[in-house]
Amino acid sequence: MQIFFEQLINGLTIGSFYALIALGYSMVYGVLKLINFAHGDFFTLGSYLGYTVLVFGSAFFTLHFGLWGGLVVAMMVAAVSLAVVGIIVERLAYRPVYPAGRLPAVVSALGASIFLQNLIMVIWGPRFQAYPTAVIPNIHMQLGGIHFTMLQLLILVMSFFLMGGLYYIVQKTTFGAAIRATALDRDTTALMGININKVILFVFTLGPALGAITGIMVGMYYRQISFTMGWNYGLKAFTASVLGGIGNIPGAMVGGLILGVLEMFGAAYISAAWKDVFVFLILILVLIFRPTGLLGEKMADKV
Amino acid sequence: MRGMKWVLMMGALLWVLMPGSAMAAKDTVVIGLQGPITGPWAYEGQMARQSCEIAAQLINDKGGILGGKKVELRVVDDAGEPKTGALAATKLVGQKDVVAAVSTYGSSVCEPASNIYEKYKKVNIGYGVTAVRLTQRDFTYFFRTCGRDDSQGKFFADYVPAKFNAKRIAVMHDNTAFGKGLAEDTKRALDPMIEKGALEVVYYDAITPGEKDFHVPLTKLRETKPDVWYFTGYYAEAALLVTQAREIGITCPFVGGNAAINNEFVKIAGIDLAKGCYMTNEPLPADLPYPEAKEFLKAYKDKFGEIPSSPWPIYAADALNIIAYAVDKAESTDSTVMAGYLRDKVDGVPGITGPIGFSAQGDREGVPFYLYVVDEKGNIVVSK
Amino acid sequence: MDTIEPSKTHTIFGSNKTTLVLIFGAVCVFPFVSSNYIIDVAFFFGIYALLGLSLNIVLGEVGLFDLGHAGFYAIGAYTTAILNTRYGIPILVLLPVSAAAAGLFAYLVCSPIIHLQGDYLLIVTLGMGEIVRIALINNPFDLTGGPNGVYGIDFPSLGGPFVIDSSIEYYFLIWIVVGLSIWGLIRLQNSRIGRAWNYIREDEIAAKASGIDVKFYKLLAFILGAALAGVAGNLYASKLMCVSPESFTFWESCLMFCIVLIGGMGSIPGVIIGAAFISLFPEVFRPFAMYRMLVFGMAMILMMMYRPGGAWPRKRGAVSFKSLLGGAESRDV
Repeated sequence: MQIFFEQLINGLTIGSFYALIALGYSMVYGVLKLINFAHGDFFTLGSYLGYTVLVFGSAFFTLHFGLWGGLVVAMMVAAVSLAVVGIIVERLAYRPVYPAGRLPAVVSALGASIFLQNLIMVIWGPRFQAYPTAVIPNIHMQLGGIHFTMLQLLILVMSFFLMGGLYYIVQKTTFGAAIRATALDRDTTALMGININKVILFVFTLGPALGAITGIMVGMYYRQISFTMGWNYGLKAFTASVLGGIGNIPGAMVGGLILGVLEMFGAAYISAAWKDVFVFLILILVLIFRPTGLLGEKMADKV
Repeated sequence: MRGMKWVLMMGALLWVLMPGSAMAAKDTVVIGLQGPITGPWAYEGQMARQSCEIAAQLINDKGGILGGKKVELRVVDDAGEPKTGALAATKLVGQKDVVAAVSTYGSSVCEPASNIYEKYKKVNIGYGVTAVRLTQRDFTYFFRTCGRDDSQGKFFADYVPAKFNAKRIAVMHDNTAFGKGLAEDTKRALDPMIEKGALEVVYYDAITPGEKDFHVPLTKLRETKPDVWYFTGYYAEAALLVTQAREIGITCPFVGGNAAINNEFVKIAGIDLAKGCYMTNEPLPADLPYPEAKEFLKAYKDKFGEIPSSPWPIYAADALNIIAYAVDKAESTDSTVMAGYLRDKVDGVPGITGPIGFSAQGDREGVPFYLYVVDEKGNIVVSK
Repeated sequence: MDTIEPSKTHTIFGSNKTTLVLIFGAVCVFPFVSSNYIIDVAFFFGIYALLGLSLNIVLGEVGLFDLGHAGFYAIGAYTTAILNTRYGIPILVLLPVSAAAAGLFAYLVCSPIIHLQGDYLLIVTLGMGEIVRIALINNPFDLTGGPNGVYGIDFPSLGGPFVIDSSIEYYFLIWIVVGLSIWGLIRLQNSRIGRAWNYIREDEIAAKASGIDVKFYKLLAFILGAALAGVAGNLYASKLMCVSPESFTFWESCLMFCIVLIGGMGSIPGVIIGAAFISLFPEVFRPFAMYRMLVFGMAMILMMMYRPGGAWPRKRGAVSFKSLLGGAESRDV
C-alpha cells in the first residue's frame, strides 16, 4: 500500500510538470486557436537559462542570498526572459500568419520550434548539461513508511501555488473574465471593448514564464537537461491539455495531473515499455465518449 | 506559371549547391569517415572525427603511406539515422578517390550503410557498432574494430555474479538496438548458471530513453530485492536511474554497460552517488597501456585540450590506421585486395587499442573487457 | 487574388503541354547525368512526394488534421518487411498487400474516432502514430524485431533477370509509382468523391445537409491515404533493405504535414514542391551543419508568412482563396 502512495506522489510530481506546461498550450489555444508547438522549447530555454544563472552566479548568490536565494534569482531571470521571448516569437512568427488561418500557423509554430531547439543546441552545445547539485536539497523524508524527497514536496507545493494563482486570476478576476471571453468568441469580445492585444500579451508572457519556472524545477528534479527535452514534454503536455479540454485552463491542470498519474499506473502495473501506449489509449477512449475532453464544453454548432 | 518558377528555382538551387564528386590531388590517399556529426549522437560523432583527424595527422607526420602519399580524411554526416546513413554511404562510394570508409556509430545506422558498401565493394570498418548480427551476413567488405555485445554479456556473466556473490540479478535495458541487444546477450550468457540454479534473473524490463522519471520502474525493481543491478543503456538515463534509485532506497551495487558510465555520468549524478558504481567496459582511453595509445592521446590532448571520454572514437582512429596500414602493406587501393589483406594478413598489428586482427567474419579479435568502478574522487578506474 | 481561368480548371499544371513534356523529359534524363548519390536523394524525394500525396488526400482534400500519418507508412513498410523475410513473398506482390494492410488498419482505428473535430482528431491521430511506433519497438509476438527492426529485405523483381537493384532502377520505379498516383488522384479530384471531399472541408454542416454521407467520405479518405502511404512504405523498405522504428517517428508525421501545407493544401503540384523542399533542403544545406536547421525553421516560418496558401495553391472553379485555408472548424473566427 505504501508503494501505491509513493507511486502516487511520483505520478503527481510529474503530473504537475505536465500541468504547468499544458497551461501554456491551453491558454494560447484558447485565445488564439493556435497550437504553439514552440512552447516545449520555451520550457527548455527556461531550463537552460536557469542553468546558466545557477552555474555562473552560484558563488555570488550563495554569498548574498543563501542557497535558496540563488534558485529564486534563477527562476525570476528565466521567467522574465521567457516572457520576453514569448512576445518576440508571437510578434515575429505568429502575428503575421494569423490572417492565413490555423493550419499555416501550425507550420509556422513547427518552424519556430525547430529554430528555437537548434538555437539552444548552438548556444549550449549538444551534450546533456548537469544541473549544479549544490542547489538540490538531497533530503529524504518518510511519512508513515512512505518514502519521498523534500524536492518532491517542494515541487508539489510550488506547483500548487502557481496553479492556484493562475486559477484565481482566470476564474475570479475581471481580467480573467476577459481571457475566458476571448477564448469563447474573440470577435464579439473585441466588439465589447476588451483589448484583445492585452489578452494576447498576457497569455504569451505568463505561459512561457510558467514554462520557464517548470523548466528549472525539472532541471533540479532530474539533474540534467538536453536541448531535445522540450519535444517530449511538449507532446505529453499537449496531450494533457487536450485530455482536459483544449482551451480550458482548469482542464489543462486536471489533464496534466491525470496524465502524470496515468503514466505512473501504466508503468507500475502494466509495463514501463508500454506506458505511453496505455496513456494514449486512455486518451482515445475518453475522446470517443467525451469528444471535447474531460472539462471541455460542447460548443453549439453553427448552422 | 507562378509555380513553374518554384520548380526551376529548386532545380537550379539543387544543381548549384549539390556537392558533386570531389577529386583529391594525386598524391593523397583519401579515407572516408561516416558518423553522426549532427543528431542525437553528435557528441560521439564529433569526437570520432577529431580522433580520425589526429590519426591521419600522425601518419602524415611520419611520412605518409605508399611512398610518401598523405592520408586525407573525408567526413560525411549521417545524423544517426538509418536513411541518412544509407545516403551517406552512397555519397562516399560515389566518390571514386575514397579507398575505404570508417563507418559508423550505431548498429541500426550501420546496417543499411554497410549494405551499400558491400554492394559497391568498398571496405568499411565500423567503430561503434556492437550488434552481433552485423558480422553474420557473410559480407566480404565489412569489418569492425570494436567488440560485440555477446562478448560483453559473457564477461558480465563470467565475472560479476561471482564478484558480488549475487544470486538475484536485475537486468534493465532501454529498448534501443544496442541496449536491448546487450541485455539479451547477457541473459543468454547467464542461462547456463540459471539452469544450474546458481542464480536467477529477478527483474528484466526496459525503460524509455529520453524520459526522465524512473521512480515507477525503480520501485518495481526495489521490490524484487536484487543483489546486483545491470543497466545496459546510455549514460544520460544511467545517471538519472542511479540518483532516483538511491533516493528510494535501492542499495544493491549498480553495474552499467559500456555506454552507461563516463565523465558526464559522474557530473550529472554527482560524485557522492556515482562513486561505487561499476561498469563493464572495453579499456578506456586513459587505461590503454600501449605506446601507440600514449602517443595518440598526447597528440589528441595537445590539439583538443582533453582526451576522448569514450572508447568509440579510439576505435575509429584504429580503423583509419588499419586501413592505411593495409593500403601501405598490400601496396594497393583496390578494395578486394584490401579486404583480403585485412582478413588474412592482419594479425597482431599494433594499434591504439591493442593488437589488431580480424576474424573470418570481420570481427575484431581479442577485445578485452574490464570491470571499472568510480572511485572516491570521481575518476573511473579499473576495479580490483 | 488569383485570376480564375475557368477553361483550365482541369489542367492541373495550368500550363501548356510543352512544359509538361519538358518536365517529363528532364525527369527521364536526369539520372543519366547524375551520380548515384544524387539519384538516391531523388529517390527519397519521390518517397516524400508519395507520402505528401497520401496525406494530401486526408489533410488537403478533406481538411482532416492528421498528425499520425507515419503510422500508416510504418504499417506498409513492416508488412512488406515481415512477409518478405519470413515467407519469401516477392516485393512487388507485397506492394498492393502493404497498401491493403495500411488501409485496413486505417479503417479499423479511424472508424471509432472519425466524428472528432479538428484538434481532437489531431491529438488522436498523433496518439495512433505513437502507439504504432512504440508497438514496433516493443516487438510483440517477436514479429517486429524490436528496436533493431527487420533486415534482409529483397529487391523487387519482375521475374527472371529483371531485378530492380540499382539506384537508377529504383529511381524510375518510385517516379513511375508517383506518376500513376498523380494520375489517379487527379481523376479522384475531378470526380464526385473529390468534390464531396472538398465540400466537407469547406463546410461540413452544409455538406451533411446536402445529403452527403460525411462519415463515409472521411473514412474513405483515411483509407486511401493510408493505402498510398503503405505503398511508400513498401518501396522504402525494399530500397533500404531493412526497416527500423526510428524512421517512423512523430517527427516524420510533422514533416509530411509541412509538405502538404507548404506545398498548398489539396494541390498536387504543390505537394510535389513541398516534398522537394522538405527532402532536398537538408541535403543541400548539409555543409552548414548545425546552422542548417536554424535556417530550415526560419524558412518554414517565412513560407507561411509570404505564401500561406502554399507554393502552388489549389485553384478550383469559383472557390475563394480564403476558405481554402479556413479548415473545417466551424468555430473559427
